[in-house]
Amino acid sequence: MYLHHLHLWHFRNYTEQAITFSGNQTILLGDNAQGKSNLIEAILLLATLHSPRAQRDGDLIQTNQAMARLQADVERQPDPAQLTLTLRASGRRTLAVNQQTQRRQVDFLGYLRAVFFSCLDLELVRGGPGQRREWLDQTLVQLEPLYSQLLQEYQRVLRQRNALLRQEPLTPAHLTPWNDLLIQTGTRLIRRRFRLLERLAPLAQTWHQRISQAAEALEITYAPCVPVPENDHEVIRAQFQRQLEVKLPAELAQKTTLVGPHRDEVQFRLNGHPARTYASQGQQRTLVLALKMAELELLETILGEPPLLLLDDVLAELDLKRQQQLLTIISERVQTIITTTDLERFYPPWLAGAQQFQVVQGQVIPR
Amino acid sequence: MSSAYTRPLARLIERLQRLPGIGPKSAQRLALHLLKQPDQEIHALANALLEAKQQVGHCQICYHLSAEPICEICANPERDNQTICVVTDSRDVIALEKTREYRGKYHVLGGVISPMDGIGPEQLTITALVKRVGETQAKEVILALSPTIEGETTILYLGRLLQPLTRVTRIASGLPVGGDLEYADELTLAKALEGRREL
Ligand SMILES: Nc1ncnc2c1ncn2[C@@H]1O[C@H](COP(=O)(O)OP(=O)(O)OP(=O)(O)O)[C@@H](O)[C@H]1O
Ligand SMILES: [Mg+2]
Ligand SMILES: [Zn+2]
Repeated sequence: MYLHHLHLWHFRNYTEQAITFSGNQTILLGDNAQGKSNLIEAILLLATLHSPRAQRDGDLIQTNQAMARLQADVERQPDPAQLTLTLRASGRRTLAVNQQTQRRQVDFLGYLRAVFFSCLDLELVRGGPGQRREWLDQTLVQLEPLYSQLLQEYQRVLRQRNALLRQEPLTPAHLTPWNDLLIQTGTRLIRRRFRLLERLAPLAQTWHQRISQAAEALEITYAPCVPVPENDHEVIRAQFQRQLEVKLPAELAQKTTLVGPHRDEVQFRLNGHPARTYASQGQQRTLVLALKMAELELLETILGEPPLLLLDDVLAELDLKRQQQLLTIISERVQTIITTTDLERFYPPWLAGAQQFQVVQGQVIPR
Repeated sequence: MSSAYTRPLARLIERLQRLPGIGPKSAQRLALHLLKQPDQEIHALANALLEAKQQVGHCQICYHLSAEPICEICANPERDNQTICVVTDSRDVIALEKTREYRGKYHVLGGVISPMDGIGPEQLTITALVKRVGETQAKEVILALSPTIEGETTILYLGRLLQPLTRVTRIASGLPVGGDLEYADELTLAKALEGRREL
């Protein structure tokens, strides 16, 4: 997979910008607040239809503009594709693949895939469970675009069920169909999260050993809100049902849904200790790097071609040894786009073959 | 926006704007257009509105919009009284009638269950449906509701109520209500994949 060409109109601080990529490593160099992360964000948005930074589409549109447009030409198996995403302040989006408008997200996702790594990802270890759920969800959306639809369905059921729980008086019989749907849509998410972690955990462990040179053992455990002894549909449904029965009094008292994948957790442990409280900054960094490498490997294995790797301000943060390891891993195969404020802390071979751009106030200039 | 217009015109624009799908611009355009019409056109429109509102009510049996207490479909002795197709609103009846495939009767729910919009089973014609199914000894109830989350919930709710009384089917997937959900899950996948291939 290769992103050849990116074109932005009224996106963040870009008025109009076309960029043609060449080679496997592209470095975006620039001072603070010039638009480096905005560019990475644009690529991520085309890949996932989701921005980790923006609350509303209005945030993504250039100040005083009504619309933003992002376009990408992607070389991929089996056919190349042109993706066009139009954002409006109203939140309405238009998605097009090869100029054909797509009505559903699932028909747009999957043409461009990317693994994104920024300093925000350290929150994966340090932050609350919501961060880890979002990571699971975003990874799954890229692995199987249908997941985005399943997630939307679950969230809709959850909102409706919460609205019902807030009603006074509440007729308990009215909860029954919502329980059924919560179980049905929730089980789909749980099974996919379970399956993802089952595949990802051993890869992450191997990467972690390699990066930390076997200094520490990493353990990744899925801790779903509903106990999941095995990834079996009927077992999960039965557990879900039981939990809903157990938690019903609490749900009625708190007027909100307390059972379901919106309360899942993923536990990272280092040498048996919870990484959240035990790991040093460096250990957290290693852990997240291992996760990202595992993500990349899994995507490549399943899709048959490597995704893009987007490194926002993190490469220079790694010591030279880790940069070197990373470079050997991704080397020739993976298109990597890297942002940085200075080149000094780079492992020199990174710079040797790399395409370099200077980013200045929403303009991207070849160096 | 309409404040610059003289009072009666502003009032008309404001009224039109309350209609679904009509924004401020369309409301202005419609109002200015109406003012240009001859008086008798305006009278005819106003009368049509009033008469429609006064004369059109709901069929006492199926709740389809009807000027008579019993609608034409319910009154038609040629149609199968023991098959009832449950739909969200009258538009669905019109759409299904156009296909000329269906020879049974209908039941218009008047919406789907949606707590966020304050719509529970009580706001719909569900009690009447259950009564009707019992009284007519219906052989089959077909749930023809759209496969949205709210449609699915309504299907599940109705399935529970009606299954003890009769055979219940749904059109979208042909699956009996309460059927194997694992299978339904695969079916959802299959549908998504089919849609993908049509491109
Ligand atoms: N909707 C918008 N319209 C116009 N400008 C915006 C918009 N959103 C963000 N910006 C501007 O974009 C700039 C931030 O860009 P970006 O986050 O890409 O910086 P950066 O180059 O990554 O900097 P750093 O090195 O600090 O991470 C800020 O100056 C911000 O004001
Ligand atoms: Mg930045
Ligand atoms: Zn009728």
